[in-house]
Amino acid sequence: MNEVIKHSIRFLVLVIVQTMVLNHLEIGLGIQFMVYPLFIVLLPFEMGIIYMLLTAFVMGLAIDSISNTYGLHTSSLLLITYLRPVIFNMFSPREGYDKLKEGNIYEMGSRWFLYVFGLLLTIHHLWFFTLEIFRIDDLLFVLQKTLFSVPLSFLLCLLIQATFVSKPKER
Amino acid sequence: MYMRNLIAFFRRFRVFLIFILLQVFALSTYFSFLNFPRSQYLTSASQVSGTILKARNDITKHFNLSKNNQALQRENIKLRERLPESMQRLQNGTILIDDTLFHQQYTYIPATLINSTLTKRNNYFTLNIGRLQGIKRGMGVFSDNGVVGIIHNVSDHFSVVKSVLTENINIDVMIEPIGLFGLLKWDGRDPRRGSITGISNDLKIKKWSKVVTRGGSGIFPRGIMVGRIGKLKAVEGKPLWDVEIRFTEDYRTLQRVYIIKNLLQEEQEELEDAIPEDEEE
Repeated sequence: MNEVIKHSIRFLVLVIVQTMVLNHLEIGLGIQFMVYPLFIVLLPFEMGIIYMLLTAFVMGLAIDSISNTYGLHTSSLLLITYLRPVIFNMFSPREGYDKLKEGNIYEMGSRWFLYVFGLLLTIHHLWFFTLEIFRIDDLLFVLQKTLFSVPLSFLLCLLIQATFVSKPKER
Repeated sequence: MYMRNLIAFFRRFRVFLIFILLQVFALSTYFSFLNFPRSQYLTSASQVSGTILKARNDITKHFNLSKNNQALQRENIKLRERLPESMQRLQNGTILIDDTLFHQQYTYIPATLINSTLTKRNNYFTLNIGRLQGIKRGMGVFSDNGVVGIIHNVSDHFSVVKSVLTENINIDVMIEPIGLFGLLKWDGRDPRRGSITGISNDLKIKKWSKVVTRGGSGIFPRGIMVGRIGKLKAVEGKPLWDVEIRFTEDYRTLQRVYIIKNLLQEEQEELEDAIPEDEEE
């Protein structure tokens, strides 16, 4: 499948899932599911950072305008997009990244995915909740929200990958 | 020479500068929109988002249908009981009907909630009607079980409500029957519980007392239900109670709301604007 079409479909699916379904779930303890950071991790390895930032900006605005968060999602998404090259370098495989692959759990292995995506997702959630609550007295609440939401968002992302991302063929 | 240095600088930090530029845009819209929305383009009141949300609501509105029908039926009963037909006349003879004694102050516009969030720090609800139906910024919104919020942003066909589940909603409320005034707050944790600030702790407050709107600012009429008193906690270092209230409306399944149009709003504002500003504080 053409790469551009593939990523556009992912963009749309993740925006729709986030705004139409996940934003409306309320299960208490301040838990909030956010799965759209998956899109940024799955972008091609060789894609320029400026294009990635612009894509993240558009995606953030799309989610913000539907869920009335006025730039909160945009800001968090931009932050992890900017940090993506840094974190990818930290966990780079010995022979570098293969341009034919993409950053999903099947091609890069579960250990790589746990570290890279886990770290990006934690930064994203922490930034999001800090900005959203924005009070020093409520610092514990920010941590509580992050602590509970990150594992659940992560699991949901695994589920999305198991359903929609095709596994590589045996060579 | 300097020019060349400048260009070299921009080349080197190009990515960082673009990141900062976009980030500043996002953060400035976030913090300015919280207080005063200048446009409707980045909210769910915009035409595109509104239409998408309306399509979603057309599917999900059926989930709570029976509960909503029951609520409407209960409200109908309440109103029907007050009709002259369901009362017995106690005095015979002529009755004077004085229809100039009352002047209509509030009218109500019905609306449907097409989008709502509950887990955010500041939760906004989207309604399916807008400016063309006569909705304006600052109007009050309530449902048959309790107060919902204040209109925050309006487009031609949709509007966004700043709900009671936001940090700075500050609705004037009153504890019945003692008539104490306070401000309604929400701490961002539980969509079933809010709190009231500004209640002095030398007064006894019974648990389960009714909390209703005070109707001072002209946004809400007096006596719209808000909730019931839950726990009382002393505020450290101040002679005040931190009063917890349980909302009577379940915002998780809310669908039908009414928007309040105050016909005398302009008159009240005109009068209050005449107060010299330096005397206010």
